[in-house]
Amino acid sequence: MAEAVHIQLSCGVELAVLELPLRRAVASEIRVLTGVVNEPADKLGLAHLVEQTVDKGTQNHTGRELQDEFDKIGTGVHSWCGKQSSGFTSLCLPEYFARNMELHAEFLRSPTFPQESCDVAIELARQELMTLEDDAQGLADKHIGKQAMGPLLGRHTIGESDTLASITRDDFMSFWQSNYSAGKMQVSVAGPMSPSQVQDIMEARFAGFGDNTPANRDVIPVEFNPVTTHHNKETEQEHIVIALRGVPKSHKDYSTARLLMGVLSGGMSARLFTEVREKLGLVYWVGGWQEHPRGDGLLYFGASTTPERCSKTYETMLKELARVGVDLTQEEVDRARTGIEVRFDIRGDVTRALCGELADDLMHFGRPISREDKLDRLRKVTIDDVKRFSESHVHNAPRSVVTLGPKSLES
Amino acid sequence: MPDKFIISKLSNGLNIAIEHMEGVKSVGAGFLVQTGARDETPDLAGVSHFLEHMCFKGTPNRSAAEINIDFDRIGGNPNAFTSHDRTFYHGLARTEDFPTQLEILADMMNSSLPPDEFDMEKNVVLEEIAMSNDRIEHVAFDLIVESVFKGNSLAWPVLGYDRTVKALTRDQMNDYFRSRYTPANMVLVVAGAVDPDEVIAQAEKCCGHWVAGEPRPDRTKPVMGTGTIQKTIERFNQQVVAITFEGPGAADPLHDTAEAAASILGGGNSRFYWNIEQTGLAPYAGAYRLDFGDCGLLILMAQCDPQNTDRVVEALRKEAKNFAAGPVSDEEIQRVKNKRRTSLAVEGESPHHRLVQVMDDIDYRGRPRTVEDRIAAVNAVGQDSLRAYFDAFPVDGEGLLVSVGPLKSSAA
Repeated sequence: MAEAVHIQLSCGVELAVLELPLRRAVASEIRVLTGVVNEPADKLGLAHLVEQTVDKGTQNHTGRELQDEFDKIGTGVHSWCGKQSSGFTSLCLPEYFARNMELHAEFLRSPTFPQESCDVAIELARQELMTLEDDAQGLADKHIGKQAMGPLLGRHTIGESDTLASITRDDFMSFWQSNYSAGKMQVSVAGPMSPSQVQDIMEARFAGFGDNTPANRDVIPVEFNPVTTHHNKETEQEHIVIALRGVPKSHKDYSTARLLMGVLSGGMSARLFTEVREKLGLVYWVGGWQEHPRGDGLLYFGASTTPERCSKTYETMLKELARVGVDLTQEEVDRARTGIEVRFDIRGDVTRALCGELADDLMHFGRPISREDKLDRLRKVTIDDVKRFSESHVHNAPRSVVTLGPKSLES
Repeated sequence: MPDKFIISKLSNGLNIAIEHMEGVKSVGAGFLVQTGARDETPDLAGVSHFLEHMCFKGTPNRSAAEINIDFDRIGGNPNAFTSHDRTFYHGLARTEDFPTQLEILADMMNSSLPPDEFDMEKNVVLEEIAMSNDRIEHVAFDLIVESVFKGNSLAWPVLGYDRTVKALTRDQMNDYFRSRYTPANMVLVVAGAVDPDEVIAQAEKCCGHWVAGEPRPDRTKPVMGTGTIQKTIERFNQQVVAITFEGPGAADPLHDTAEAAASILGGGNSRFYWNIEQTGLAPYAGAYRLDFGDCGLLILMAQCDPQNTDRVVEALRKEAKNFAAGPVSDEEIQRVKNKRRTSLAVEGESPHHRLVQVMDDIDYRGRPRTVEDRIAAVNAVGQDSLRAYFDAFPVDGEGLLVSVGPLKSSAA
């Protein structure tokens, strides 16, 4: 597979292109480097609202006409809002890529934020908060996010009901003006397009879009709060989430952290699945995952189980987190490594996944990292590295814990 | 270059379908077992799904731990799912590990249903049921199926009920297993950069000794129920409403038209999106198809603030009626076709997607379709086929209305 090309465009956009001549479609991801951390404290939810309404009208098209234009070229579009970036992803046939970017540039550069669309977005966000109340796992994630990352990075995308109520159309406009510009954009493209073709299109579409100075690439520190809290909720299952400090994706120990997570939660022979579900039958779901704000990292472990099994599940999880650094075997490390490598190969068959990797590299490394380089780092990790990391970041580390359901761990 | 598809059969009756793909590193393989929840009796509700769990728990050759370890040694990404009419065990591995992957999957099809694992795994399934009960959309879906297919074996949930799973014995499961997991009811499906001759030789080695067995009993096509069903669950904050209409089955010539109709009505950039979601009435409103081999459903569903329930139901009905009354513009039809064509082109790159698509085609149509065949079927959708669809499967009638949430009563 060819290497990705990384170009700083004169318009301010940071561009990475992975040319894949034999693929049928082009995947693209435009990341505007703004998210919930850029919201005023009394306007929580604003970044998400802007991401939801930025395509609801321009000087040339209504929101519906814009969507119709995307559909005419068979382009699937999707958007999301995160902590430090807002993403606009798309998938199209190569002959329509230029038109696809023309439409994206139109709404990103000249949204009109119709009053009615702003009002609807706020009302829908209010209802989404209600939906979240019915999603026990999502609610547990919201609570652990606040607890493990602090008041800024731990903000929830949808906001809070009181802050949503205070947001006006002027706030939409002002947030967009302050945070959407070419200098705050990273664009990743994968598919049958040459870097020069993409470069020409992006320069033409985004020249003169606000300040072209690269910005919003700073690191915001995690404010980790090592406490245990319980949130009462009438549910059939109790939800447990444990958070620990991890390392950034750019850190030398990142591959070690990946391997450790693989040992604990990567495959069907991973320790948590084996000990909590297979041997004791305590849960249907147990797992581990990582989250990476730019320049930082967190390790999470979660499970859901009926209240009478909650304490036993929690104790077993803690036991496994403590034990892994002591009796880890080379065979487990090898299996975890194989699992990561194979998933890596499988993702290589999917254009959209390769584009996502590229976008992630720009976000966390400021440049594309070759797949060979990533594999090389993974292959160099030893069992002693994993044990050492486990001792420092898991076994002896402070933890932040959330339980949500009808019963606390103490009761 | 080998043919795109190779269809073969072992002497014991096991069908094999292989799609040869160029330029990919991974290979998907799976065993389709043509039995699911609709092939159970009421007292065994959930046995197909529970059995799917048990197939990972041990064979005469491997313990549960050994199955898991052997898969992880090749990074085999094993998984399985059970639906109303099928069970599918699959994995995705590097091409060079295909023989090992197939050998483990084949071994699992000869599960010993270890008695010491049975009660342990029953707890896991009961936890899965509890997890599903905490999701309002799952509760609503189960109620739709239970009500619309009342009196038919499609009516019970795939997971079964707490009481039926608790009461299930290993002997009952074993009887079901021995009668259904036979070559007569199974298909090996493979998609990737494989040599078809090697696949068939490996299949012969792993599965050639299986005893042929009998096909499963015939299924009964359900008669669709209508009316209004309301379930009050006070602990939820939102209300889920769904209006269900009969639709074509997966093998029906109108299938792709039905897909396009659902997309126009309730997909992205659809009538529901602009006339319901983007008026602030409900954060989620969509039109979903549920396919079976012999029948299908169109489900118009929304989640909303309970105080908006009646207005949301009214809006869903109004959009369905307007849609059926027409006109539907050529542009509107073309837009959904364009999107679907791009999706199909992208899905065609991935062995995992192709594995599932080939499996689906084999199960419901008896033959696999290429990406180009699928695109041609999408291209054939037009004004005439839409009219034929509305004539055969009206969406302006009463249908079945299901409402789940905190509301105690509703004018809906």
